[in-house]
Amino acid sequence: METLAASGTDLFLPKSYDIVWSLVILVILALFFYKYFLPKFQHIFDERAEKIQGGIDKADQAQKEALEAKKKYEDKLGNARVEASKIRDDARAEASHIVADARSKAETEAAQVTANAQKSIESQQQQALVSLKGEVGVLATALAGKILGSKLDDGAVQSDMIDSMISDIDSDTSAK
Amino acid sequence: MVTGIAGMGFAAVTTLAEASGPDIPSIDDFLPEPALFAGTPFAINRIILVRIIATVLLIAILGVSAHRAKLIPSRWQGAVEWLIEFVQNSIVYEVMGELRGKRYVPMITTIFLSILVFNLCGIIPGFNIAATATITMPLAFALWCFVQYWIAGIREKGLGRFLKDELFPKGIPWPIYILLSPIQLIELLLIRPFSLTIRLFANMISGHLLVALCFAATQWFFIETTTKAQFPLGILTFAGGAFMTVFEMAVAGLQAFIFAILTTAYINMSLPETE
Repeated sequence: METLAASGTDLFLPKSYDIVWSLVILVILALFFYKYFLPKFQHIFDERAEKIQGGIDKADQAQKEALEAKKKYEDKLGNARVEASKIRDDARAEASHIVADARSKAETEAAQVTANAQKSIESQQQQALVSLKGEVGVLATALAGKILGSKLDDGAVQSDMIDSMISDIDSDTSAK
Repeated sequence: MVTGIAGMGFAAVTTLAEASGPDIPSIDDFLPEPALFAGTPFAINRIILVRIIATVLLIAILGVSAHRAKLIPSRWQGAVEWLIEFVQNSIVYEVMGELRGKRYVPMITTIFLSILVFNLCGIIPGFNIAATATITMPLAFALWCFVQYWIAGIREKGLGRFLKDELFPKGIPWPIYILLSPIQLIELLLIRPFSLTIRLFANMISGHLLVALCFAATQWFFIETTTKAQFPLGILTFAGGAFMTVFEMAVAGLQAFIFAILTTAYINMSLPETE
């Protein structure tokens, strides 16, 4: 066999077919890695990174929206609180207003009632006085007639006497 | 093709039977006779067959992984992605930075994964020899690296400035250039590609020789020799072979890593100092 004579230097002398096969293999491998394997995985890596980035962005967006909603809600709550306290104040003011109104009305009415009563008392008093005056006149006349008797049958004397008597009573009353 | 391998196996067995000692592996293992298309430029010997099968397997497995790749990775896809990201982040971006490195990620990935798988063939039962165990395969990778760092230097700086920066480094008194510049030129033209080639090639050769030696000795002590007294020695060599196999796994990964990171570093050296 030829190989028995092989020396160490033969190892470093490339054979033509070995060169061919080394280059063919190298080109095939390079083409495979350059054209298919790495682009494919690069695509996967990019897509994954994009998806993760998208997820993070989405989460950020959601958080932002949640914060916005919270702020809106808190604003609304604050507004509602302010409004409620305003309504309460208004109601309180109105209530006191109503009370004051009612009081003043009641006072007015009371005064009215008092005034009416006063008036009616006065008018009744006046009426009583007038009717008393009439009756006293009749009574006095009847009494005087009985006392004087026939002496006073004359109409003129009679009327004179009544007039003087009434004027007496009048002056008495006005003097009072 | 399979009959080719089997035929070679039988040949090995027959030589074994004739031998008076263990079948000590030799450099002949790295210079197998062509089994197919002998005499043409497309002749295929055992190592090239291993290389072709390894390539087909690599492309099939990674191709199917890529084809089935989903947004939410399975365990296997996670492992493949880890490998890609390891090359991208721990090798390319670590040395060059992301901006410059992006362009070289496919190249370094090709180099790293191919060399890793080719190296591992050395300990895969049935292959038992690294697909990188002939000089041309490491040389092909190294020449790719060579072409790339020249292109990078000429594209980024122009040929004149690239050579000036490489051959006459700044901050050195001029008489030193008489010594330094030829060395730099030799480094740029020869040392870089050949150190890459020989480091990988020699590692694969020595790895194969050590593993094969241990197991050949084990075979001898256990089966072929009639003296039972040598049995414990067989246990020792078997343990040694097992250890060397694990060690070769580490070497396969390490050499792929070194090749990839040096390629990246050489290309990076051709680029201007500042962005």
